[in-house]
This record gives sequence, C-alpha cells and structure tokens, in this order.
Amino acid sequence: MKILLIEDDSETSGHVSHALTAAGHDVERAADGRLALSRALSGEYAALIMDRMLPGLDGLSVTKQLRAQGNETPILLITTMTGIDDRVEGLEGGADDYLVKPFAFAELLARVHAMVRRADISERAAVTRLVIADLQMDLIARTVHRGGEAIDLQAQEFRLLEYLVRNTGRAVTRSMLLEHVWKLNFDPRTNIVETHVSRLRSKLARGHAPELIHTIRGTGYIFRAD
Amino acid sequence: MRIRLLHTEGFRVTAIFVAIFAASAAALAVSVLVITDVAFRDQIVQFANADIAAVRDGYNTEGVEEAREVIGQRMAEPGASDFFLLQRNGIRLAGNLAPMPPRTGILTVPGARPRHAILGVAAMLAPGLYVFSGSDLYRANLARRQILRTLIWIFAAALVLATIAGSLVSRSFLGRTDMIAQTCRAIMNGDLKTRIPVRGTQDELDRLSQTINAMLDRIAALMENVRQVTNDIAHDLRTPVTHLRHRLERARGQAAPADYDKALEAAILASDDILALFAALLRIAQIEGGARRAGFAPVDLAELLRQLRDMLGPVADDAQHRLVLLVPQSTVIRGDRELLVQLFSNLIENAIVHTPEGTRIVVDLKEEKDSAIVSISDNGPGVPQEEHEKLFRRFYRQEASRTRPGYGLGLSLAAAITELHGGRHSHHYRPPPRFVGAGILCLVAKKLTVGTPQMTP
Repeated sequence: MKILLIEDDSETSGHVSHALTAAGHDVERAADGRLALSRALSGEYAALIMDRMLPGLDGLSVTKQLRAQGNETPILLITTMTGIDDRVEGLEGGADDYLVKPFAFAELLARVHAMVRRADISERAAVTRLVIADLQMDLIARTVHRGGEAIDLQAQEFRLLEYLVRNTGRAVTRSMLLEHVWKLNFDPRTNIVETHVSRLRSKLARGHAPELIHTIRGTGYIFRAD
Repeated sequence: MRIRLLHTEGFRVTAIFVAIFAASAAALAVSVLVITDVAFRDQIVQFANADIAAVRDGYNTEGVEEAREVIGQRMAEPGASDFFLLQRNGIRLAGNLAPMPPRTGILTVPGARPRHAILGVAAMLAPGLYVFSGSDLYRANLARRQILRTLIWIFAAALVLATIAGSLVSRSFLGRTDMIAQTCRAIMNGDLKTRIPVRGTQDELDRLSQTINAMLDRIAALMENVRQVTNDIAHDLRTPVTHLRHRLERARGQAAPADYDKALEAAILASDDILALFAALLRIAQIEGGARRAGFAPVDLAELLRQLRDMLGPVADDAQHRLVLLVPQSTVIRGDRELLVQLFSNLIENAIVHTPEGTRIVVDLKEEKDSAIVSISDNGPGVPQEEHEKLFRRFYRQEASRTRPGYGLGLSLAAAITELHGGRHSHHYRPPPRFVGAGILCLVAKKLTVGTPQMTP
C-alpha cells in the first residue's frame, strides 16, 4: 500500500522507508509539516507515518488539521521517549496509533497493518460474531466454542482472543497486546503476555487441532487457522 | 568604596534627612531672630512712651522747668531709656542728645557711633517744644548676633553628626550587601557550601540572608541529586554498553552466518535494554517533576488491585508463588490510574522475581481515617534492615539480585509515584507470626469516598 512517511531526520527516515519498502509498501517521504499536510490532503495514501516534532508544522497540528478537513487517512504518530501524556494528546488529536522511539521495525509494521485494517469501512460495522475455522466467538454473550464445544474463558482471556481473532493473519506485538487487552502503556518486567497467551492456547488446544495462535520470535503472535 | 558610598540607599536617606533637618533648623533660627528683635523693640518703645508720658505730665502741670526736672530724674534712674532730648525751636533745653529735626512718632536716629542707632519715640508738648526718648539698639543687635552664632554652631554640629551617622549606617548596610554579593560570587565560582552570615537580629537583611541561604540549601540538595544520578548513569551504563561491545567484537570473528545472526540478535536486545534504562530514568524524572498531577482523576484502588490480581495472578502461579488480595469493595482516591497500575504491578513483580518458589505475596488495601493504605508483603527472606534506606535509590541493587536482569530502578520509580500521590513509602519487616518476611508499605493519598470494608480473599 501507499504510505506517506513524514520525518525530518534523514537517517531515521531512510531506515524506516527501507523497512517499509522491504515489506512491500510504496513509500513517499516528506520532511516538512506544511508540505506533508498539503500532500496528505490529496487522500491518495493508505496510511501516514509522522514524527511528532517537525519543522514548519508539528505532527499533532498536521493530524488535527487533516481531521478538521474531513481527511480520515490512518495516522501513526511517532515521538521520542519523553512525555507520557503525549500519547493521550496524540490519540485525542485524531491519531490512530502512537509509537515511541526507538522502536523495532516489526513493531512499526504490525501497528501500521492493524491501524489500516481498523480504518476499513467494512471492518467498522458492528460485529457480534467472529468465526475463524472451527472457532466461534459470540461477542454479545461472551462465549467461545471450538468444534461445537464450549470453552470457558476468563474476561481477560476473552479480550485477548478477540484482539487476536480480529487481527487474523496479521502479526500483533507484545506491546500491542499490553495496550489493547490490559491497557498498559509500559513494559512490565514479568511475562504477563506469555503467561496469558500460553493459558489461552492450552484452553483452545484441548482436544483440538490445529494450533491457532502462533509465536513470531522476537515480535509477538499471529492468529492463523491454516 | 568612597565613591560607591554616594550611590547607596543608606547615603541617600541620610542626605535627605540632613537636608530636612537643615531646612527646619534654618526656619527655627529665622523665627527666633524675628521674635527676639520684635520683643526688644517693643520694650524700648514701651520705656520711651512711659518717659514721654511722665515728661508731658510735668510740663502740663508746672511748665518747661518741671519737664527738664523730670528728664534729669529719669536719666539718673536705672531701667529707663538711655537717651532724652527736650528742644524748643531747634535748641536743646534738656537731655543728652543733639537737637534733631522736629518729628513725632516712633523713629530711629543715628547714634554717636556706628551700629549704635537709637530707637525711640518723639512727641510735641507745645508748638515748637518737642520731647524725645529712646534707647541704644546695640544691645538688641548684640543679642541677635549671639543667638545667630549659637544657632549656626548647633546647625553645623548637627550637620556633621547626621552625615557621620548616615555614612556609618550606609557603610554597615553596604558591608552586609557586599557580603551577600561576595557569597553569591563564591557560589558562582563553584564553592556551593558558602552561606551568608546571619546576625540573628531578624532585621530585613537577616531575613533576606536566611531566605537566600535556604534557597542555596535547596539548590545544593538538587545539584547533589543530579550529580548522584549522573554518576550512577555514567557508572551503570558502562556495564551494558561494554557487554554490547564485547558481543559485537565476538561476532566480528565469526564466519558462520547463523552465529552472525545470533550475535546481532543479542546485540539488538542489549541495545533495547540500554534504551529501556533511559526510558525508565526519563519516566522517573518526569514523575518527580510533578507535572502529571494535573491529570489526576478519581481512581478506585480496590477495583484496580482486583484487575492487577487477574493480570498477575497467573504469572505468580507459573512462578510457583501465591498472590493473595485483601481489599474492600471500593476505595476511591484521586490519582493517575496508569501510574498507580505501574506502581503496584512493579511491587508485585518485584516480589515474584526476588523471592523463592512457594512464597506468598499479600496485597492488602486498608482504610485508616482519611487514608487509603496499600501494603504489599511477602513471607520471603526479606531485606536486611541496613539496606532499607538504599532500596529506593536509583540503581541500587542488593548483592543477591545483581545477577538477575534489571537495573535497580523499579523502587525509585515506585517511590516517585508514591510521592506524587502524596503518600509515604517505607520498607519494613512485618512482625511474626503471619509474615516473617519483608513488606513494602505504601501509603497512598487521601480517599475520596468511604467504601464498605468487605474482605474478598
């Protein structure tokens, strides 16, 4: 897909652009906020990846102006590791996701993919049931069945599974899970994600094949039925 | 100093006072002189009028001879006028003055010597017959000069005294402001221990000096903290960076692509660790700055701890620990939810990571008066008493945990978050029998509403 990368540091911009291109995306680069705004208004991009601090017009202002003019292109804001409140401010300003420097490229790719999927109109419609292979999730009754057999899940296990299923076929990182399932915006020292994923896995696997939750080493997990 | 003195506030005040004093002294002198002069002249005229009345009396009853007689008597009497004259058609009939042009009323005539003018009263007894009585003004002039001289001396002495006093006052003021300036210069030059001497008189300068000293103490404490942290960072960062360097050096010598990949992977992880360390330091600094207090909102601590139990309970189980929660139904405080989650998850994780298998971790939320108290304790081996204070320092790690991952920032962060919420933190041994191990006690903020204390195991 076509991505506009707005970053004034040419080295960072080069690295990120290289990673995105390697993942098969068509990347255009801009280094100035004002210029980025006028190009983003064309609406030809599937996603914007934008640094918070930019010459001309800062990333948050660009985001706000785009949203004010009805442009709904998914935006991922990137910031240096300072203020904690920046995140809330960025999301309230209309950004779809927020990533703190430094980040792994796998993290960036996973977040861009998830963000673009969420923005798809077809996906936004209210879903009450999720069905993947022999797994069925009823989002209203909060029940899960596999092969017709009920699986008893705790609330957080249900949220974890829902997030994985909604991102079927796409990698989700540990930090994405911490953010969406547990609302944690910092990295805990213990294996919260690993522990809960492993419990969920064993509950889903009891007497059933194949494995649905796959580990991507060094990155996170992917839900896949193949 | 001599020139600067002219520019001091003390000197200016002195000069203004001297000027006001001089002006009022001059006004006083002028009025004293005028009043005494008028009094002298009045007295002379009164004597003269009495003399003339007596002479007129004599002339009216017994004629010119009696008038001459009266003048003769009066001249010999003490307390009467100095000079008399009785003249007819320009010829002196009696008295001790030369004939003068015929005039009446109060008049001044030249005396025998300069400065000895005569003030007196002249009257007509009959056509061509005039009488005059008056006194020498010399005595009045003398008194006036005497008074004037005295006043000038007093004036001069006061002027000198006022100037000296003013200079002394401003010199002492200057001395003390100089001392303040000197102290500030010494501090600018790097001697942070210098303080302004305080006299103990509690005057304005003393209070100013005390305030400046208190400010300097605070700055010194902050600088000490910064210095400590900088040292710690420089020291503690060397280890991970050195490890990273070693890994890369080893990788350079390896030929097999698989080994190469492994070494690179390890190097990336090592640099992530270093970046995480910086992130943690920045977070602590930000929390200690207090800026986050602006975003405080009501938070239900009981609910928050239950969520943490659900989140961390399985982790504790996997590590062969037991996580026990003792919380009331609801305890609401004002705080930052995200930071509170980080605080308690940090402390629970600490207990999971640093205690042996089979340890029980108890999270206890109590309400006491208007406070909500959360304590996290375990029945592990505990931390020796002498290390308690150090636990909350940045980068402090117990000997035993040096080999485990981490940088010793967890408790510093916990302390910063607790303080942000107006709480106190401490580490202490819990008395037996229930818990023989150690506990981290956190006092967190004032509660907003009273919850029903219902224990949920």
